[in-house]
Amino acid sequence: MEVAAVAAQLNCAAGSYKAMEIRWATSKDYQKRVSSKLKSRRIPIFISTNPSDLNPRDLKELCITCNHSFHRFPTLDHNGKLVEAVDLQKLRVALSHSSVLVSVFCNLQDASVDDNQPEEHPLASPLMGLRDLLRTLPLPAVSPSNSQLVGFGRAVSDFGLTASIYDVMVVPSLRRMGIGKMIVKRIIRMLTNKEIYDIAAICSANERLFFKACGFGDDILGSTTMMYTRSVSTYPQSDQMAKRAGRKLLILPPVRKAP
Amino acid sequence: MLTQNLNLVARPSLLPVSSFDCPYEASKQLNTLNFRLARAKRKLKVTRIKASFWDSIRSGFLKENSTEVIEPSSTLPEEEEPLPEEFVLVEKTELDGEIEQIVFSSGGDIDLYDLQALCDKVGWPRRPLSKLAAALKNSYMVVTLHSLRKSPGSEGNDQKKLIGMARATSDHAFNATIWDVLVDPSYQGQGLGKALIEKLIRALLQRDIGNITLFADSQVVEFYRNLGFEPDPEGIKGMFWYPKY
Repeated sequence: MEVAAVAAQLNCAAGSYKAMEIRWATSKDYQKRVSSKLKSRRIPIFISTNPSDLNPRDLKELCITCNHSFHRFPTLDHNGKLVEAVDLQKLRVALSHSSVLVSVFCNLQDASVDDNQPEEHPLASPLMGLRDLLRTLPLPAVSPSNSQLVGFGRAVSDFGLTASIYDVMVVPSLRRMGIGKMIVKRIIRMLTNKEIYDIAAICSANERLFFKACGFGDDILGSTTMMYTRSVSTYPQSDQMAKRAGRKLLILPPVRKAP
Repeated sequence: MLTQNLNLVARPSLLPVSSFDCPYEASKQLNTLNFRLARAKRKLKVTRIKASFWDSIRSGFLKENSTEVIEPSSTLPEEEEPLPEEFVLVEKTELDGEIEQIVFSSGGDIDLYDLQALCDKVGWPRRPLSKLAAALKNSYMVVTLHSLRKSPGSEGNDQKKLIGMARATSDHAFNATIWDVLVDPSYQGQGLGKALIEKLIRALLQRDIGNITLFADSQVVEFYRNLGFEPDPEGIKGMFWYPKY
């Protein structure tokens, strides 16, 4: 699994702000059947940190494709799929208050065309790379306008001390190609540029290995991650207000006023 | 039963002092990009000289209408910040006639030097003031407790002291993390920390922010458990980034 950085970077006229960058994602598929030759796919993807490039509806679709929920304890059906999609308005609010937004686009036709090509001889790969490069130039033809959102990640920060990374997702067909890692690296880079070094990622058990590979580890200060889970089912009492968060019905603590 | 010191919930920033600078130039380059976003017929006006970062995002989210309505941050209906409140939590009359009130306040201004003194009292490492200020300003909600001592007779001789604080950062929709919960050691054990956290949770849940997380030191895990927090629920854990130089 490797990502090769490419020389072509799109700089805008304003100067140093890189709005959109082209990257190559590669995957090495080891063919088990006949030969053990490497077959690598090189797919151009676009990574952007510009929030205007992101359409919330596309993101909602991506969440459905990735079966990702914004709630920590979502309601799942018997197949393990999400029952309800994320609310679009809430999504907009969340995005507008996120400090860093990273979106990855890819022309999915390109990605699927590679699959149909006959097995490439490994020696031809430098040529393949060149052909891919030629295919993608002139660049305006392969802009994000005809690409689809295939990956996303965001972080919320207080711009002073801390930041938390949430909702890193990549479409299943393009996983294990280094895209997720690229997203996380980009988020970290943006945060460290603003001098925030205390970056947390709250992840479920199956995401842990991914974040470990991105350079995350257990807290050196030994703190325990805790979440508010007091719900109606675990704390039955009369006359309490509760709010739904995914599949949990969280209880609001009582109001206290002066005696 | 708060017999333990309420210590660090948020791990302090581990990095050296440096000046804080946070430029946002998101709107400028949008007009100079060579490729157009085909799905968006919107165009971002060049004339918004002072357009803030969030404005450019919001106008970008308007779907397929060619009228550019650029809403300033305050007019979106969902964007009401939690209203600041202030009320007296506890009132005690001392033997010499002095009244001591513990006042809860949210959204109030905090004196940074007071806060730093309080952090020193509970034994936290020092953090750069500019970063503290930025963190407080950009937190979703900051709640504080002040002790107000009123001596009888002489009005205007009240002593106000910061004795507790807690803050939460959030994306205003789904996730929130509670950081920096602290209560002056001489005021601990009275349920003040509990009041601070309960207030934060209530405010967050009322806005339908359902994922409330925090990172607790080992001594305070029980304290939070009593408040309804669960450690590593369903395998969810927090991991932190370690730069490898």
